[in-house]
Amino acid sequence: MSAWLEITDLHANVGDKPILKGLSLSINAGEVHVIMGPNGSGKSTLSNVLCGDPRYEVTAGAVAFKGRDLLTMNVEERARAGIFLAFQNPIEIPGVSMSTFMKYALNAKRKAAGLKEYDAVSFMKHIKIRAQALEITDEMLKRPVNVGFSGGEKKRLETFQMAVLEPDFCILDEMDSGLDVDAVKVAGNGVKIMRSPERSFLVISHNIGFLHEQIRPDYVHILVNGRVVENGGAELLDEVRANGFARFQKGTAA
Amino acid sequence: MAEHLEKADELMLKPNETRVVVETALAENTAVVVGDDAHLVHYRLSDGANNALTVKLGKNASYDLVTVHLGSGKLSVYADLAGEGCFCRSDAVYALNGDERAEIKTDFRHNADKTTSRQLVKGAVGGRAKAVFDGGILIPYNKKAIDGAQQHRALLLSKTAEVKAVPKLEIYADDVKCAHGSAIGTLNKDQLFYLQTRGIDEAQARRILTAAFLNEVLDTMRIPELRDEWGRLIGLKNDD
Ligand SMILES: Nc1ncnc2c1ncn2[C@@H]1O[C@H](COP(=O)(O)OP(=O)(O)OP(=O)(O)O)[C@@H](O)[C@H]1O
Ligand SMILES: [Mg+2]
Repeated sequence: MSAWLEITDLHANVGDKPILKGLSLSINAGEVHVIMGPNGSGKSTLSNVLCGDPRYEVTAGAVAFKGRDLLTMNVEERARAGIFLAFQNPIEIPGVSMSTFMKYALNAKRKAAGLKEYDAVSFMKHIKIRAQALEITDEMLKRPVNVGFSGGEKKRLETFQMAVLEPDFCILDEMDSGLDVDAVKVAGNGVKIMRSPERSFLVISHNIGFLHEQIRPDYVHILVNGRVVENGGAELLDEVRANGFARFQKGTAA
Repeated sequence: MAEHLEKADELMLKPNETRVVVETALAENTAVVVGDDAHLVHYRLSDGANNALTVKLGKNASYDLVTVHLGSGKLSVYADLAGEGCFCRSDAVYALNGDERAEIKTDFRHNADKTTSRQLVKGAVGGRAKAVFDGGILIPYNKKAIDGAQQHRALLLSKTAEVKAVPKLEIYADDVKCAHGSAIGTLNKDQLFYLQTRGIDEAQARRILTAAFLNEVLDTMRIPELRDEWGRLIGLKNDD
């Protein structure tokens, strides 16, 4: 039996340049995984490839998600199947407000699941509760998506989108970076509230304090030069804190 | 309150008058005169029409035009900024598909001191359709404190769509602020991807981004129901 999410020997390029070079990883339902690795090792690339980002070409390997071949699905099918990425660098969409955006997204997802689309009232109810929990104001919901927001506010809005769409598999790419101490706690709480036996997380961060205190992962993976080179538990965080990535980088130079 | 007119060939505002006029069918020629200190807000929907509009503005008059242009046709706006201190705005949206051909022409003449003009023209062109934007600003010799701005931006929704922009700026005076620009491009791939990662399918993502692009023009309209209705018509056009 393969795992809930099973990544096997994944290779991906940008143009002719290989970035993921035989990456394997398995994640089961309900688990919280962390990926750490040096800048440029391929963490964001992995996140984007799992979402189907057309800038990357998968040249070898397989990804199975809940028994389906993820790599043959298009971007929106993956999203509707439950994959969500909180982007390291969220994209600005001038002219589209966050609440309109979420209404389209939520209803697209409901429709695909054979559910009735939300009307204005039930939609507002759905987002109000989540906005309050994540300290997102009405004004932020009315503004165009990510336009003119501070780095930290954008990250909070990514977490908000995750709370609204309730995905099964949440990839958080440096969601804590740029957040002030209080906002880190709010974001961490968002993850805590959403933890469930049916939902898994893949958390990418350079902040060991955040990972230890807020995320409390079940598993930690070290990604170096496009491959997972070490799998372990939370104790790996302490090793990285004490010694950096030096031990894992031996013999993996490009 | 807005008045609805059909195929008006004349629209005269006496000094100090203020009117809001909505036209949903256009005559071939329309002459507008906005008297001294008069103010006209003019919203026009052109569904495949040909129309030549001439506007004359008096002292401290203002003219605020938004045109929505669907389908084939030739539209031109000739504005004579004749009165000192007058303000003329002409914003437009065009949406074409299939084999449609459209031409949007403006010719703004700053014939008095302290006159201001604004033009924002945005288009979305699909299918094998073609649009030409021909935008002109003339600032004669010795005119003072002139402020003109012209922006044209177009989205090509298919590989076979075409847009041509021919800005014509003739500036013979020194005391002038005049900004202009034209950009023709396609939908932003990163934005499309971002919307799709939230479960929105590609066709709808394209629709959302196209509407957002064109809404910059419609959002200045002061009649929200009209803005929404015309927004919907544009959306249907871009969908084909
Ligand atoms: N679209 C792209 N075009 C060109 N190069 C890219 C692209 N995406 C990623 N790369 C390159 O691939 C490598 C991995 O980048 P990636 O963003 O995945 O790193 P990362 O592990 O997320 O780093 P960080 O910790 O700095 O966020 C880098 O060398 C990067 O420059
Ligand atoms: Mg990264």
